[in-house]
Amino acid sequence: MTAQETEHQATRPRPETSDVVGTVILGVVGAVAVVMGLGYGFTVEGGQVGPGFLPVLTGGFIVVAAVLELIRMFFASSSPIEGSFMETVENVEEEARAAIEEVYSGAEAPEAAAGEELDTFGRTQRQRSTAMVKIFALILAALLLIPVLGLLISLSAMTLALLIFVERRPWLTSLLATLGALAFFYLVFVQGLRVPLPTGMLGII
Amino acid sequence: MLDNLQLGFETAVTPENLLFCLLGVVLGTVIGVMPGLGSATGVAILLPVTLTLEPVTALIMLAGIYYGSQYGASTSSILISTPGDSSSVVLTLDGYQMARKGRAGAALAISALSSFVAAILSLIGLMALAQPIADWALNFGPPENLAIIMLGLATIVSFAGENVLRGITMAAVGLLISMVGVAAGFSTARFTFGSINLLGGLSFVAVMIGIFAIGEVLHQIRRGGEAPIKAGFRDLLVTRKELRRSAAPALRGTGLGFLVGVLPGAGATLATFMSYGVEKQVSKHKDEIGKGAPEGVAGPEAANNAAANASFIPTLALGIPGSGTTAILLGAFVIFGLQPGPLLFEQQPDLVWGLLVSFFFGNLILLALNLPLAPVFAQILRIPYSYLYPMVIFVSMVGAFALGNNTFTMWVVFVAGLLGYFMKRFNFPAAPLVLGLVLGPLLERALVQTSAMGDGNLFIVFQRPLSGTLMVVALLAISAPLIGSLLRRRTARKERTTIDA
Repeated sequence: MTAQETEHQATRPRPETSDVVGTVILGVVGAVAVVMGLGYGFTVEGGQVGPGFLPVLTGGFIVVAAVLELIRMFFASSSPIEGSFMETVENVEEEARAAIEEVYSGAEAPEAAAGEELDTFGRTQRQRSTAMVKIFALILAALLLIPVLGLLISLSAMTLALLIFVERRPWLTSLLATLGALAFFYLVFVQGLRVPLPTGMLGII
Repeated sequence: MLDNLQLGFETAVTPENLLFCLLGVVLGTVIGVMPGLGSATGVAILLPVTLTLEPVTALIMLAGIYYGSQYGASTSSILISTPGDSSSVVLTLDGYQMARKGRAGAALAISALSSFVAAILSLIGLMALAQPIADWALNFGPPENLAIIMLGLATIVSFAGENVLRGITMAAVGLLISMVGVAAGFSTARFTFGSINLLGGLSFVAVMIGIFAIGEVLHQIRRGGEAPIKAGFRDLLVTRKELRRSAAPALRGTGLGFLVGVLPGAGATLATFMSYGVEKQVSKHKDEIGKGAPEGVAGPEAANNAAANASFIPTLALGIPGSGTTAILLGAFVIFGLQPGPLLFEQQPDLVWGLLVSFFFGNLILLALNLPLAPVFAQILRIPYSYLYPMVIFVSMVGAFALGNNTFTMWVVFVAGLLGYFMKRFNFPAAPLVLGLVLGPLLERALVQTSAMGDGNLFIVFQRPLSGTLMVVALLAISAPLIGSLLRRRTARKERTTIDA
């Protein structure tokens, strides 16, 4: 145990950049909340809780927690709560994660920089990451097009684009799947639930 | 109690309610089986579809999706070692190993049976405890409410797992998000940055849809595709020996899951991990656990379902959700104009008891469906993810529009989806954020009322016996893990210095 712990400290891993960046962002959000909260009024007359009370407390708490987290990342030993009863839980979790990774035999493991290994779609890690950018860009485009094409048509266009350009499915099956989805959602939301979906400038559906 | 049960039966056994119960559990099973779609996602994306139903019917269906997906999620864990929900991660250990040994059918049957036993037992517990707790909570004043909410937040913290600080920070972020807009009791618009759309606050369900349906589902793509089914269904029948070995773990799992589930803030996932840990310590076959032992399936599965049912106790009786999914269900109550909490039992007994009795039918249907039909549900696993996720995005966006009848809600979903994706990718837990988001308005109301009661002195919380006790428990729950780790570190250091010397 002791030897292990010494080793722990000797080989303390450098904190992940993502962890540091994420925590700093949180800290900044907390600080902004404190400043804005003070502007709303911490207390009202009679010393009672004001609209800024909870924002200041919560924001302040986030700042403190973020600073502590950064300190922990850079200076403390790598495992935060050793020997606690949560350790059993974490060990089981770790075991399950390892078992799942074993089944995927390296195809997954996002943080492990899987190099050129392919997943079951035949994509590399890098291709998957660019796929994410494309997906969010397509959703964004669909939202922007709603005032023009209408909600259902613009979301159908997004689905078709996702299937053909991101997933590289055959265009005929993609088209059929998209039309099927369009018909289904039209029946459920417009005919069934009578939701007045925006039809845009086209005004078709 | 008997009157209530009778009232519940009268509500639950209408053809319409039974039909939507069936629809809910079947949809739940299907959603649960699909890797990457969990109960939280299922309830969030289907909530808008239930808006035109009667509240009780809608809630029966949504709850059916919740506990139905607990059954389904196990199927994909066992067959392809891909958990359908975080609460069935543990099943990828023994469940999948059993499947690889050709006992897939047995593993599925043990999982369904222990789920059923746990669900029925915990349902009895839920029915017995919910009303007394609600009656007790009727006497709560603002300080007691404040203390209970603090206790809820404290439980999230102490069970945050891997990283206590990160969990508690995400809960605080959830609180902050809940403060956007004009809060009840104040006239100041907060964090709106001049936007009119933000004045009314962020739609809680829209944020959930974004985080779970967009964020988590898209994160699955980054993980890569699904593994093919390697398990066969040759031996569908469970042997008597396997059943005998499953009985005790299932009962232990039920008890453990119930206890963990009752706590506000601690969810089913934690219960499954703890149950697995317990089985490894006490089982007669501990050497086999991890290599395909029925104990490792029965225990966690029972714990999972018991915790899911038990988490309805704080949700219904106190208005404080016990898990991420019950938090979304709480949002559904609010959309239907109902406020969960002690008053609900007085004002809407038919709804509460109808909902609880429907659990009984739902679980019966699930057992009947899952025992013979598990291989059929397993076919859902053959649907390629590349077709599935565009449909999930589609339905989430249309649903978001239906929620608010405006496109702004869709933008909320989009931004929350980005947030959820990065949170998932960089291991920032979502459940504490969800709970913070739900508890925010309740916490603020309790704070304002308590401060009015004490003329600005919030310390009256400590002066009343009940709220004082609850606050002390909450403080202990927060500080115990930190103090514990400090003490251990000191002992470790002492040991080291002695050895060095």
